[in-house]
Amino acid sequence: MKILTTRMEAHPTDSHTLARHRATGGYEAARHALTSMTAEAVHEEVKASNLRGRGGAGFPTGVKWGFLPPDIRPRYLVVNGDESEPGTFKDRQLLERDPHQLIEGIIISAYAIDCHEAYIYIRGEYPRPARRIERALAEAYDAGLLGRNLFGTGFDLDITLHLGAGAYICGEETALLNSLEGERGYPRIKPPFPAVEGLYAKPTIVNNVETLSNMPWIVENGGAAYAAIGPEGSAGTRLFSLSGHVKRPGNYEIVMGMTFGEFIEEYGGGVREGRAVKCFIPGGASAPWFTGDQLDLPITIDDVGRAGSMLGSGAIVVMDETTNVVHAAHSIVNFFAHESCGQCTPCREGTSWLEMVLARILRGEGRPIDLDLLLDVSDNIAPGLGWPPKMTTICPLGPSAVSPITSILRNFRDEVEAMIPAEVPVA
Amino acid sequence: MPDPVKITIDGVEHEVPRGELVIQAAQDTGTYIPRFCWHPRMKPVGMCRMCLVEVDTGRGPVLTTSCTLTCSEGMAVDTRSDTVKKAQEGVLEFLLINHPLDCPVCDRGGECPLQDQTMAYGPGESRFVEEKRHFEKPIEISELVLLDRERCILCARCTRFSDEVSGDPLIEFQDRGAYTQVLTFPDEPFKSYFSGNTVQICPVGALTAKPYRFRARPWDLEAVESTCPHCPVGCRISVQASQNQVLRFLGVDNEPTNQGWLCDKGRFGFEYIGSPERLTAPLIRNDAGEFEETSWATALEVTGQWLQDIIAESGPEAVAGLGGARGTNEDAYSFGKLLRGVIGTNHIDAQLDDGLDPQFLAAVTPRAAIPDLDTAGTILLWGPDLKEELPVLYLRVRRAAQEGANLIVVHPRRTGLHDVATHTVSYAPGRGSATLSELRAGTGELAAIKTLLMESGPVVGLVGRTGYTEDPLLAEAVAAFVRDLPDGTILPLARRSNVYGALDMGLAPSLLPGRAAVSSQDARMSLSAEWATPIPEFTGRDAAGIVEALRERQIRALFLFGADPVRDVPDQPAARQALEAANLVVAIDQFLTDSSRMADVVLPAEGFAEVEGTVTNLEGRVQKVAQLVAGPGQSRPPWSIFEDLAGTLGSSLGAVSAEAIHKEIAAVVPAYRGITWEQLEWGPGREGVVVPAETGEQPLRYVPVDIGVPVRSARLALHSARTLYDDGVHARFGLSLAQLAPGATAFLNPDDAARLGVADGALVRITGSAGSAEMEARRDPTLAPGTVYVPFNQEDGGDIGDGLEVKLEVLS
Amino acid sequence: MSWTADPRVEQILARYPDKKSAVMPFLYMAMAEHGYLTDEAIREVSELVGMTSVQVSSIATFYSMYKRERVGSYLISVCTSVSCAILDAADVLHAIEDEAGVPAGETGDDGVFTVEHVECIGACGGAPAVQVNYELIEGVKEDKGRELVRWLRDAAPDTVLGDEMQALFGGQRSFEWGPAEGEGATGPVPALDALGTTGGSS
Ligand SMILES: Cc1cc2nc3c(=O)[nH]c(=O)nc-3n(C[C@H](O)[C@H](O)[C@H](O)COP(=O)(O)O)c2cc1C
Ligand code: SF4
Ligand code: FES
Repeated sequence: MKILTTRMEAHPTDSHTLARHRATGGYEAARHALTSMTAEAVHEEVKASNLRGRGGAGFPTGVKWGFLPPDIRPRYLVVNGDESEPGTFKDRQLLERDPHQLIEGIIISAYAIDCHEAYIYIRGEYPRPARRIERALAEAYDAGLLGRNLFGTGFDLDITLHLGAGAYICGEETALLNSLEGERGYPRIKPPFPAVEGLYAKPTIVNNVETLSNMPWIVENGGAAYAAIGPEGSAGTRLFSLSGHVKRPGNYEIVMGMTFGEFIEEYGGGVREGRAVKCFIPGGASAPWFTGDQLDLPITIDDVGRAGSMLGSGAIVVMDETTNVVHAAHSIVNFFAHESCGQCTPCREGTSWLEMVLARILRGEGRPIDLDLLLDVSDNIAPGLGWPPKMTTICPLGPSAVSPITSILRNFRDEVEAMIPAEVPVA
Repeated sequence: MPDPVKITIDGVEHEVPRGELVIQAAQDTGTYIPRFCWHPRMKPVGMCRMCLVEVDTGRGPVLTTSCTLTCSEGMAVDTRSDTVKKAQEGVLEFLLINHPLDCPVCDRGGECPLQDQTMAYGPGESRFVEEKRHFEKPIEISELVLLDRERCILCARCTRFSDEVSGDPLIEFQDRGAYTQVLTFPDEPFKSYFSGNTVQICPVGALTAKPYRFRARPWDLEAVESTCPHCPVGCRISVQASQNQVLRFLGVDNEPTNQGWLCDKGRFGFEYIGSPERLTAPLIRNDAGEFEETSWATALEVTGQWLQDIIAESGPEAVAGLGGARGTNEDAYSFGKLLRGVIGTNHIDAQLDDGLDPQFLAAVTPRAAIPDLDTAGTILLWGPDLKEELPVLYLRVRRAAQEGANLIVVHPRRTGLHDVATHTVSYAPGRGSATLSELRAGTGELAAIKTLLMESGPVVGLVGRTGYTEDPLLAEAVAAFVRDLPDGTILPLARRSNVYGALDMGLAPSLLPGRAAVSSQDARMSLSAEWATPIPEFTGRDAAGIVEALRERQIRALFLFGADPVRDVPDQPAARQALEAANLVVAIDQFLTDSSRMADVVLPAEGFAEVEGTVTNLEGRVQKVAQLVAGPGQSRPPWSIFEDLAGTLGSSLGAVSAEAIHKEIAAVVPAYRGITWEQLEWGPGREGVVVPAETGEQPLRYVPVDIGVPVRSARLALHSARTLYDDGVHARFGLSLAQLAPGATAFLNPDDAARLGVADGALVRITGSAGSAEMEARRDPTLAPGTVYVPFNQEDGGDIGDGLEVKLEVLS
Repeated sequence: MSWTADPRVEQILARYPDKKSAVMPFLYMAMAEHGYLTDEAIREVSELVGMTSVQVSSIATFYSMYKRERVGSYLISVCTSVSCAILDAADVLHAIEDEAGVPAGETGDDGVFTVEHVECIGACGGAPAVQVNYELIEGVKEDKGRELVRWLRDAAPDTVLGDEMQALFGGQRSFEWGPAEGEGATGPVPALDALGTTGGSS
């Protein structure tokens, strides 16, 4: 069962063009929604689909749309194509290979929420996906699919592509809005949530690329049909990015419910050189890691949550038995330290402190007390070190840097200890 | 409390206003929550995370910042739970890991919130063994402010202040994450009239002020609360001194006036107090025409003798007094009592031909107060550029505009408020009356403005002179227009510090103390009874008239009390000639100014921070100034000098102390009746006392007139107005500010510049009513066509005068 | 002609309710012209968007792709985030630094190369991933990294094309890229006509 990747698989050379899109039924769902459904009816279908956001937080999309205050206009729809979470590269494929599917999804969603201005925010390091979107937008405008009076219904919609410039934090929805407004990409204090006060202080829906790419199918087949796919709470298909020590890394669209082990074997072809899985990250760099013992866990939002981690952005990173976990953890902590926006003291100072301590351990200059220090510094960013994390910060970026620390110190403490020299070397 | 809700803070229930920030509500009910980034006068950002508390709104405790959370019914706040304590210790430890341990050499040491909170909430020893972040040690970001980025804790108070409050965002965060730093842009220094506020609100020693740097340790300072002496906004300040040297002013938060802020002229304008140029002994001009130091006794005796001779020969009408707007009300009152009551002259003026009609300033109604700006629907500013002349009032108007008030600015040139104004009107000097007629008629572009003024009240009219070539009657006509709006009040604007107090004390030709008209028989009678002396009835001359009469030798003796007409009168050559022509000039001053230098007797006066007394701000708010240091040498409080001068004329003012004079004022001056010395003591919640705009005993009513200022076919109309920094006496003798005056420049509309063939930077000669001056020309597209703008009172600015028409010649 | 006179400036401004929003696309345009964000470039942007220079530079320095210092003709970015890190991205980076003669974070004296290590560029399935002027090459091994540097130096292409470099120096890809593209980058800014903003003429 595939929804998002059918066209690109069937038509590898031109799935991104308007001609191919139309030849394969494209924009029919949008036409149907605009010409024969009310906005409320479209919204109802999305609610019925039980689609949960694919950007990381997994919030039900239909419910989120319902938070828009009824009387305030304009409203904005912002498409989150900032995809920067290490391990994640699924939106890139959707943007590059089927941009019209996204644009159609935007038309449907904008109609459902009565919005006439949409922005697609694509990370600056994605010029190729951005070019494909740019051309697709031009095609759509030329064909009258965007702009004034769509499908003769009087509904107007403009879509603007906005390029990021190298800042992971701009994937966080409120930082993204600040970035779009020409501010530094600082996450905002919530509440107010964007649905109430978002872009230019107006009600705004922020949705991920993959989330919106599902809309044509949902309109065409009905929300109930979507909800029927997969286990409860993890409806629909989902595009997972698989990377690390697997034989066949890549994006795979699956129905949720299979185990991680099955997924890695069946799609990833197993671990390279037949080695064992030492550990894996189930949902992008922010997520706490699972060990090789947990491969039997089913891939569902709820199962993974109960086991103390998250499916997040749908990125599975597999590490085999040869992996130096301190090195891997350092790479992730370094990422968060580098990407901290810098407003919260615990995130700005704490993530770089953690990074420095790990780097010192990697250099062979660790001290026995560093292990507890790492945990205590982490505790000051994410009190209690639980999951989902409590936060001393505005956004979850800071606490995300704690995930690899607790992961290695809970599961591989002996390995970390083994890297500490018996005596502190004289500096 | 309008809409109270019940919340518990650490288990104790309190009633607090709904929607108030938890951090504020806690503080008001006795629980201090530590903080760095939050400042009560700026929007919360919740960045530093120091103010974390646990809050339960029914779904279990959640860690959240109390500076971003508003109070709602039933909320339970825990400020000291174990989780909270651990989080706060954590934040402090994080802040300290990169903070240098240079407290012993840091200006902030001893009054540093970071230091204090580390003592109170911090961890013991540092567990951070890595290399600290390094930046180049203090860098100069302006002429006044230094920045040490290693000490900075990135609370964004300074950057937010400069963007949100003062509107000159010249410092901003650069880079990201742990590399974030505050910085200016290359070649664009932090040139802000308000930069000192950032030093004051910096919670560490990252920003320091050059005038104060390394001058003292906080624990060596003595402090008193007082009122800033630099303009009539009347900002509340803390004056701080060590070893009889005033070392700094800090802003104190006074709700109706400054809300904690000061302008840099106010803040750094303390240096003149300790200037080595201060007068320390009386001076008398000897036979060779040179000043000679002498004793007080001799100086007074000689002055008395000379005065008596002149009065005997030419009558009391031959004596005049200028000044009094820089001292206290008690000084002004004594000066007036000396001139009117003892000598018997009505030739008195505290303004120097650069202000407005005294009856207008003192008595225009309905009068607005500063806080009315916060609730105004529409603000009409037709007067000086507030940023240049009344800076802290500018901050207030700016905020009101940002928070939704309509702001209409009418001025010949772009002002500091243009960027937040909803409507701006530009006109060439001389066309003011025509512009007002258009506004009154609501024609053309002014229709929308008229509608706002009629329909979006309450309207506060900020009315004054846009410049010195403006007919002062225009302001009265504008005020009349505002008065007749459905819901209009007026705040008349003048700029010299205690000019409102001086006028209230009767330092105007036509006014007796208490804004009573000299022409009123009743008023004269009642004052005469109080003073036990006849009050002269003849029509007094104003400053321009006094200058004129001196030149014509109708007036022969002149008292200058803190007045420098040679500098301050728009027609400066005339002022110089007047002083030359006088038979006797007695200057009571702190410095040898261009004017006191021409005096025959100079009596050294104590001034701000050296004397106590009261002053009155532009709203009519009476506030105290306090004494902290002793004046230099033999200088004395002005009121006591006036008392002794009265003595040499065989009389007495009955002045024994500032407090005693105040008591007399409170008895004699109707509007001030009943104000007690104790009432004016500073302390929490004390905001001074506003003198009522109208009292039953004011015989005078301001009568607006519609004027027809002639629109002359000037080749170029002159616009001449003050800038914050100029060649004024206090700035000149304060080292830090002296260098900041912009200098003399002729600004021209680009079309005029092209028409006249003036290149940017060309040397031009401007010839006006009083003389000519040479200066550089600059283009200024914000000027109304046909106008040349020359900032008033700049070094090398020459004497152009206040005539409307000027001639411009291109010299290079 | 200066970029500020480019008709796209007005088009971009028209896309947003507030001109401040145009700061990012304008920074790209200014950088495309000046090679990096000189003080002059920042001032140009600040005038167009109504911010002060320091505010514009605050935005510019927040994002890692806006460069305030001179950048070489070829900006080589090597990803060192987790998926690449565990597949020896560090070795690839060292090989490239060595071959280019430029340590990460710096620009060679001859102005040919700037080498940097970057955080995740969304090519984790094609680890280790490298970009040249933001044109992507996936599955770059140490030796191929060296070859890439030599090729850039010798062939000195005016325009770098992702497809061409992938074919020459790449390996494992995150996914099938689809048909080849003719567009590529001519400087250290992403190759995109509108440089960040596009849409209908509206
Ligand atoms: C630090 C951080 C980074 C994020 N990055 C992304 C991202 O790159 N792409 C994305 O779609 N959502 C990202 N998110 C999630 C968004 O904030 C937001 O939840 C999402 O765009 C909502 O869309 P959805 O409901 O369709 O998932 C991030 C969140 C955080 C806290
Ligand atoms: S947690 Fe980090 S990234 Fe998130 S807002 Fe705070 S400082 Fe910025
Ligand atoms: S004072 Fe609340 S976060 Fe700084």
